[in-house]
Amino acid sequence: MNSAQITIQIIVALVAVACAIPGTFLVLRKMSLISDAISHSILLGIVIGFFIVGDTSSPLLIVLAAFAGIVTVFLVEFIQKTGLVKEDTAIGLVFPALFSIGVILIAKNANDVHLDIDSVMVGDLSLAPFDPLLINCTEGIADSCINLGPKAIWVIGTILVITLVLLFAFFKELKVSTFDAGLAAALGFSPVIMHYGLMTVSSITIVGAFDAVGPILVVALMIAPAATAYLFTKDLKKMLVLACFFGVFSAISGYWLAHLLDASISGSMTTVLAILFLLVYEPIITSIVIGLATTTSVIFYQYYQQLLTETGFAQFALSEKISRVFAEFVLLDYVTIMLVGGVCAVLLIYILPKRGVIYGYYKVRQQKTEIMLLVFLLHIRNHTEESERHVKHLNEHINWQRLRSDSVVELALKNNMITVDNDIISLTEKGEEFTEKAIDYIITNKDTEIEEMKDDFFLFRG
Amino acid sequence: MRTITLGTAILGAICGMLGSFAVLRKQSLLGDAISHAALPGIAIAFLIMGAKDTNILLIGALISGLIGTFWIKGITTKTHLKSDTALGLTLSLFFGFGMLLLTFIQKQPNANQAGLDTYLFGQAATLLEKDVWLMAIVAGICLIILLVFWKEFKILLFDADYTKTLGFNTRFIDILITTFIVITIVLGLQTVGVILMSAMLLAPAAAARQWTNSLGIMVILAAIFGAFSGVVGTGISASQSNLPTGPVIVLVAASIVLISFIFSPSRGLLFRQIRFMKNRNSIKMQKTLAFMYGIAKNHENIAHPHAIKILNGFQGFSKRSLQELVDLNYVEINGQQWSMTQKGYNTAENLYDQQVKDTHE
Repeated sequence: MNSAQITIQIIVALVAVACAIPGTFLVLRKMSLISDAISHSILLGIVIGFFIVGDTSSPLLIVLAAFAGIVTVFLVEFIQKTGLVKEDTAIGLVFPALFSIGVILIAKNANDVHLDIDSVMVGDLSLAPFDPLLINCTEGIADSCINLGPKAIWVIGTILVITLVLLFAFFKELKVSTFDAGLAAALGFSPVIMHYGLMTVSSITIVGAFDAVGPILVVALMIAPAATAYLFTKDLKKMLVLACFFGVFSAISGYWLAHLLDASISGSMTTVLAILFLLVYEPIITSIVIGLATTTSVIFYQYYQQLLTETGFAQFALSEKISRVFAEFVLLDYVTIMLVGGVCAVLLIYILPKRGVIYGYYKVRQQKTEIMLLVFLLHIRNHTEESERHVKHLNEHINWQRLRSDSVVELALKNNMITVDNDIISLTEKGEEFTEKAIDYIITNKDTEIEEMKDDFFLFRG
Repeated sequence: MRTITLGTAILGAICGMLGSFAVLRKQSLLGDAISHAALPGIAIAFLIMGAKDTNILLIGALISGLIGTFWIKGITTKTHLKSDTALGLTLSLFFGFGMLLLTFIQKQPNANQAGLDTYLFGQAATLLEKDVWLMAIVAGICLIILLVFWKEFKILLFDADYTKTLGFNTRFIDILITTFIVITIVLGLQTVGVILMSAMLLAPAAAARQWTNSLGIMVILAAIFGAFSGVVGTGISASQSNLPTGPVIVLVAASIVLISFIFSPSRGLLFRQIRFMKNRNSIKMQKTLAFMYGIAKNHENIAHPHAIKILNGFQGFSKRSLQELVDLNYVEINGQQWSMTQKGYNTAENLYDQQVKDTHE
């Protein structure tokens, strides 16, 4: 690892943390897509700033870009308040319009401007370590500057420090206004100030990170770690810490993935984020897919290296190369890949009982039985006449198969809910009481009613 | 030039038609998410087939767009994450992965990848006659499907639960309409690009929504608006050099939305403001009348004159409201004095009764 690599990793880690903090609040406030809107419309701010100053490195650009972000938020709010369209439509109308103006401005002046949409839209980190912040420069004398290290670290570091200070200072207010806007307003925290404060911080962060990773990947860095953390925990503090952790983890491992594939850093960071999210969201399938993909690529790489020694292979087009390499695969390789996939699947189904497929199937069946038992008990309770309570009658009345009704009756007997006398079923006291409660719950549909019943429910499963 | 204009017009029309459904289903930003989610599909199709054949790339985009859509659905139904987060996740993660693949392709020797970038920003100039034919065919199929399933689409749109109880297969209808939205988005990528595609889908529909409350008229209007912005946008961008088509089309569509927001007769901001002011004036007038009634009923003769001065400082009184009362023949003015007429007295009496009745109800 040379110093440039370390610098890049520091930058991406800082960007990840700086994005994850406002991102968490955006996700919780159901405003994730505002970050998408801001990240696009700051292009207009940058372009206008560039026309005013004529220099891409001026701090005015950052100010104007952040301002454009806030204008976007304001416009979205305004359109939304008119009530003519829904909020998401308002977002979808505002940012493409602002972005279009930016693109047109660039295109009209493309000849004499050193500003290229591609470079603005993609973002490049690999040159960041070689763009140092120089101060105390004396005009005309070379090397008179004091080199303070890469500029990107200073920019994003400052933003991060400000974000952290604001977070610690206003944590309580943010928390209240996020989860209960009405209470926050009643307690005297202006919702407008909280909203626009958060939006300003997000806007500035997006602008700061924009240079490094490009606009769409900023959105990924803001939303994905927070969303992944949200699947893990419902505690705000834990969620913030986890989001930062996921951000930094994906940033660093994304950097090395990019190094390995010789591809864009921001793209591979997002890919790692996607894998992380999928691992949490759909652990089994994702692990199997990753297992398969890794094994395939390891085998692929070996054959690829072999083929590279042959003459002429390096000149082939990409798709031909791929088909050539796959042609080299023998049956054993496919068997290995399948085996790895199978092992992954089997392991995970047992390792993750709560989310595993087998457990899920089992749980659904249990719930079905519970519902059936409930229907059965209610039916018995509703009929006093003996003919309706005959064991055989159940088959036709509730439309159950014979086997199923047998198992339900057996289950009810086990739990002492019913007694069977000459094939006539009657409820026991316990059964009466339980059915009573169940009806209460069905009628009121209140959670408090079911709390007491939960213990009873576990009984049947026995 | 004619090909391009025709292409953008057809594209605008389909976008408008299907966009209406997206907007009414509160899936406005689905277009944004899917257009981004199509990128990895394009890159993978290129990687596998190694050719820049538009149709193959479009099929790749379609598949990855559909995967993105189902991902969004899955996340919102299976977890507690909200739809905005699901959209944002799909949008950014798919796009990031696509970026990774694109940069990977660019690093390969002999990778003739020039032109893949056009999918980012769109280039209407690359539209060929066969692309336009493809669009026309898709538009035709769309139209037929829309007409055949019109009733189902409509009922699903406004009352999904009811549709289910009627025995319609809501899942099928849902997938059908979403698939067509994805197809439209994928078709539009080449013309207006990833980022602006969402506006193409949204803007005509949002504008059409302002003019009507009927779904049929809205769909037709949206199609017209879409086609119009396509034609005008292409025309403007062709009239000058260095003017990219996609952004111009979007700006034209955005202007239509702005005009609709302001000037639409029933919902527009302008007429709403006018109605608001009318209502305010009439309330002012009624308040003044009620106040006068309060004074006049203490006198035996209701026409007993009073000084206008005593009305000063009463909220709701203005020269204008007094003038209106005179015009309606409720009040007579004699120099600096006013007096109530019988007609005004009766009206005010009923006005008060009406108020009492309202508050009691």
